[in-house]
Amino acid sequence: MNQRTLPALAAILIVMSGLIGCAGSRPKAMTEVPGAPSDIAAEPPAVTTEPSAAAPPTPAAAQPAATEPAASQDPAPLTEEEQMLLEDNTDWALQPDEEIYTVADPLEKYNRGVFYLNDKLLQGKARAAEAEWARFLYNSTIGVLGFGDPASKHAELNPAEEDMGQTLAGYGLGDGFYLVWPLLGPSTLRDTAGMVGDRFLNPVAFVERWQDSLALSGTKEINNLSFRIGDYESLIKAALDPYESFRNAYIQLRQSKIRQ
Amino acid sequence: MLTKRWITALFVVCFVIGQATASAGSPTPMQTVKERIDQIITVLNDPQYHPAAQKKAQREKIWEISQIMFDFTEISRRTVGPKWDSFSDQEKSHFTDVFAQFLGNTYIDKMQGEYHNEQVVYLQEIVKEPQALVRTQLKRENLTLPIDYRMKQAQGSWKIYDILVENGVSIVQNYRVQFQTILQKESPVQLIARLEEKLKEQKSQLGQ
Repeated sequence: MNQRTLPALAAILIVMSGLIGCAGSRPKAMTEVPGAPSDIAAEPPAVTTEPSAAAPPTPAAAQPAATEPAASQDPAPLTEEEQMLLEDNTDWALQPDEEIYTVADPLEKYNRGVFYLNDKLLQGKARAAEAEWARFLYNSTIGVLGFGDPASKHAELNPAEEDMGQTLAGYGLGDGFYLVWPLLGPSTLRDTAGMVGDRFLNPVAFVERWQDSLALSGTKEINNLSFRIGDYESLIKAALDPYESFRNAYIQLRQSKIRQ
Repeated sequence: MLTKRWITALFVVCFVIGQATASAGSPTPMQTVKERIDQIITVLNDPQYHPAAQKKAQREKIWEISQIMFDFTEISRRTVGPKWDSFSDQEKSHFTDVFAQFLGNTYIDKMQGEYHNEQVVYLQEIVKEPQALVRTQLKRENLTLPIDYRMKQAQGSWKIYDILVENGVSIVQNYRVQFQTILQKESPVQLIARLEEKLKEQKSQLGQ
């Protein structure tokens, strides 16, 4: 090599490495180095570990292996589970309207119908009947888990006529949900919500499925559950339409449980 | 062979510089989120903000740190849904502004009230540009709250456009269902007015 080609070569190398460097921060980019002379083959691996170590520990699947050869810039393909997690249908621009609505709320048909029916029926004896039903469910589940007869301790489950649903009547929530709300203890709310909420959503299909899932998950999961989306006041504050908000949160929660 | 060594050395140097610039210049989704959340936690733990009188200042500080992480226009677009196209440009920007403030007040206030030294664990990031999902957990003594962030890359930086709690309950979807119900009967202007009403309520409750 003579004196002229060396600066030219240096210039080319600088430009190339700049391009490669700017291509991305993933270690993947490092394997792109073309025509690396054999005596520096040992160097790139030492360099690649640096950014990887600096990044928080992630499973191998999420970060492409530094040694993976490829002609293109594409990172390692995602696993099926990762694809599914990444999938997101909130970009309505990519979907027809009807489809979005269906995906967001598949039980819409049932919910509206059942709910309005409840609304009209919920007066006098019907309300008392709701309370009875909820108390029965509450006792048969929590009671079974060894909590004795807790229903009698909860004023909400033994409502006076005028108390029931007053606060929530304005939101059209109905008495069934009122029974669910104040029960914020870890091992009670979701359990009750599962029974009572399900009853309102789709009595037949869901109760069956829910019982199956209950059988599968067992006591441990019930004890871990709690209404983490927020307590009653928080939800009211955070929502423009608390009923829709709660119902949707509940539906999404069930969908995510089914997926798991 | 001196020349060959020179070339080699030069190559390695440029390579290292290139990589260093690359790593410094474009944080991963998880790095983006972690950096900001760590700062927020520092503010939440800072004793100077413990007195009630300092809560407003603390909220403002947290807002300052966190709002950069979010793409509120994208959040607004997705929560409003297809009707977004029927909003005028002015309505779009007005909505985005009001909704952003509303979300900020709601959730920062909740954070201030409920944060008690929980640990944030960063589990995983799934990246397929321009999308990413950063999975984290908030750990309390006997509870683990999964919180995931959906992010989108725009102009080289990653921004959050949705938050999932409980492994799949999307906040964007939740607001969208609420807004859709409202927009079935009301106009964009009325929806914005409702949000402004909520915002006013919040401000008076927060003593602003």
